[in-house]
Amino acid sequence: MSKGVQIAIGALAIAALVAWYGWTSLGGEGSYRYFQTLDEFRAATVAGPARVHGYVADGTIVRDLESQSVRFEVQQDPPHAGGTRGQTLPVHFASLETPDLFKHGAEVVVEGKLQPGTDSAVFHATKVFAKCPSKFEAEATEQASF
Amino acid sequence: MAEIASNAQQLALVIALLGIGCGVYAGLTRRAAWSGVAERSVYVVATLVTAAIAVLFAAFALCDFQLEYVSRTSARAMPLSYRLAALWGGQEGSLLLWLWILTLYSSVAVYTQRGRTPTLLPWASAMLLANQVFFLVLLNFFTNPFDLFPPGQAPSDGTGLNPLLQHPLMTIHPVLLYAGFVGFAVPFSFAFAALLTGELGTAWFRSTRRWSVFAWAALGIGILLGGRWAYEVLGWGGYWAWDPVENASFMPWLVATAFLHSVMIQEKRNMLRIWNLTLIGLTYTLCLFGTFLTRSGVVQSVHAFAQTEWFGRVFLAYVLLVGGLFFAALLYRRGELQSPNRLESALSREASFIFNNWAFLAILAVVFCGTLFPVATEAVRGVKTTVGPRFFNTMTAPLALFLLFLTGVGPLIAWRRASLASLRRQFLVPTAFAGLVAAALIALLGRDLTWYPFMAWTLSAFVVGTVVQEYTQAVRARTRRGESPQRALYTLLRKNQRRYGGYVVHLGVVFILVGAAGAAFNSETLQNVKPGDSIALDGYELRYLTARPLPVGHYGGAEARVALFRGDEPLGTMAPEKRIYWLEQQPASIPSIRSTLREDVYVLLTAVEADGSATLKVHRNPLVAWIWLGGVVFIAGTILVMWPHPERGTGDG
Repeated sequence: MSKGVQIAIGALAIAALVAWYGWTSLGGEGSYRYFQTLDEFRAATVAGPARVHGYVADGTIVRDLESQSVRFEVQQDPPHAGGTRGQTLPVHFASLETPDLFKHGAEVVVEGKLQPGTDSAVFHATKVFAKCPSKFEAEATEQASF
Repeated sequence: MAEIASNAQQLALVIALLGIGCGVYAGLTRRAAWSGVAERSVYVVATLVTAAIAVLFAAFALCDFQLEYVSRTSARAMPLSYRLAALWGGQEGSLLLWLWILTLYSSVAVYTQRGRTPTLLPWASAMLLANQVFFLVLLNFFTNPFDLFPPGQAPSDGTGLNPLLQHPLMTIHPVLLYAGFVGFAVPFSFAFAALLTGELGTAWFRSTRRWSVFAWAALGIGILLGGRWAYEVLGWGGYWAWDPVENASFMPWLVATAFLHSVMIQEKRNMLRIWNLTLIGLTYTLCLFGTFLTRSGVVQSVHAFAQTEWFGRVFLAYVLLVGGLFFAALLYRRGELQSPNRLESALSREASFIFNNWAFLAILAVVFCGTLFPVATEAVRGVKTTVGPRFFNTMTAPLALFLLFLTGVGPLIAWRRASLASLRRQFLVPTAFAGLVAAALIALLGRDLTWYPFMAWTLSAFVVGTVVQEYTQAVRARTRRGESPQRALYTLLRKNQRRYGGYVVHLGVVFILVGAAGAAFNSETLQNVKPGDSIALDGYELRYLTARPLPVGHYGGAEARVALFRGDEPLGTMAPEKRIYWLEQQPASIPSIRSTLREDVYVLLTAVEADGSATLKVHRNPLVAWIWLGGVVFIAGTILVMWPHPERGTGDG
């Protein structure tokens, strides 16, 4: 066998090994994150886990200490930019751990899904990410998980 | 004053362009006089840029809000140190800092190489000046930090800097990163000069080795300090999130590490000549690419700056041009770069270094693909899909373990071809030590132990065993000849500082990986507690005492007092803060951290609720302190490697 063929076979074997390793290790949830705007999310018909981008509607945040959860509503456009409120998406976040920059008008990404059954219009978020308003140059921290 | 600085920038651009012309002319005609002109224009440009940045520093110190940039990134309420550091808090100042470091480096490099590499120097000067021209064009025509408000319209106070950046580490972290990024411009320019002139020997990397090591170390320490900053400021309990900006600095470091190892093979065996040029070309291209990623905001992240689109395009075009020209030149010279020597055995130090190189490049490929995945999916499918930290961790962990293994193996294998007998002799002690540690881990942690941390710690023990054995063998060989052990150790570090200093660097990296593997045992809890209530986590008890307002200053907010116990033993009071920066209207959660070599307790005040209760997040992060300790050892090792040698002079280390 020529040296070129040997190298090619070796490279292919390694690539196959890496692909197999990646495939088997990363098959589950949590490896890939996929963003949709609120409008796109509404238009999509497939149910299941999603990450939805929007803005916290004014005056909708309720921190419920009793049940250790936060309720709020998300709208498509930023409230301060004169955007109409339109149809909002009610969100239930079963934790009090909201990011620093989470407040009325904040740009957020909520991760979770619509819960089929009793309260089908409510988005049950497992994670909430917030971004700072565009007034500042630097993007604020996304509460990353490691 | 701002006008003077603007003029200095303009003049610098003109002189840099003239200098390039002289350098190229000198290179083509081999006239030393013209080379001297190119050399002196490097000094003049450096002086002018120094004057410009001095004006900008002064403007920040004196709160001169006539300058639009100063008013945008600082405010009177900020302490002087943060006002000065605000110079690199935004786009324009960052680019000026980049340029300033480049002009200083260029001057020192050109000055120390005078007369040493007469054929390379004019081309290298022209190369360095060409890089400066790009930044000078940006600063003069697109993002000028000296833009003024129209007369009478200057604000009385600035709008302040992002509070997250108002931290002591942020005064040094960006400077170190740039010191690293820019430092590679020097070896890159000499490599490019070697390709252009056909002087393809070892002069290009021998004459700039110190630069490569320095830039690499500065970048490494800068990355580590960035992690420390994230840990202390961002308040999510970790130090590394595979954020695009982190990756942008990590990618050139990976290739540079491969480069520092593989040039040793070229030195010893005159092999891998194309490969080494490829690595240095890739390193610098990735440094520029990293600057592009962070500055253009192409992948949004922690400190990616919102910018207009042209900036990204111009910058990307420049990155591609620089990389493209270098690799075109490399392709042109490939015939002259064939090495007469071949790899003789897979059981040789050369081979272990080649495996090392491939592993580093494989990690690079993973990080590169993961970082650009969102950009690619957005371009192709119209939706942004990102890969999480899990992707990066899963894909890089086995490669990192393989590298750790090679770190232990490399020093034990002989050059050319190792004999089985020598292998047996060399491997015995380190392997036995690793075996002992593995047994201890199993006994201690039992079922909690998972595969990756087990392998990481066992292989770390193997590397430590190797390093200790290398030192004792060498010291013993000298004491047998009558030297005292201290004297022997001193001579060792003096005579073969790169090798024995390098081992200390290895130890530092091992400590960092030992600490990183601790993350597999992290635990956390989030609870809402009333004053007097306690939170329990892994044997710790955290009793929430009270919350009190912070004294009002540049920021205000609340501070929680939390008493920490382990069993009945009180360990102290912790005080996490929830700050509000008034001017910037931005909140920030500042954690309180109790750190020991065993583990960190990390407490965050998520919220002070309306009823007086507090929502606290508590993390227990084992072994994190080893990462910072490893950083200190890393620095010590680098100093040992770079310490000026009395006999050889400072020019070629």
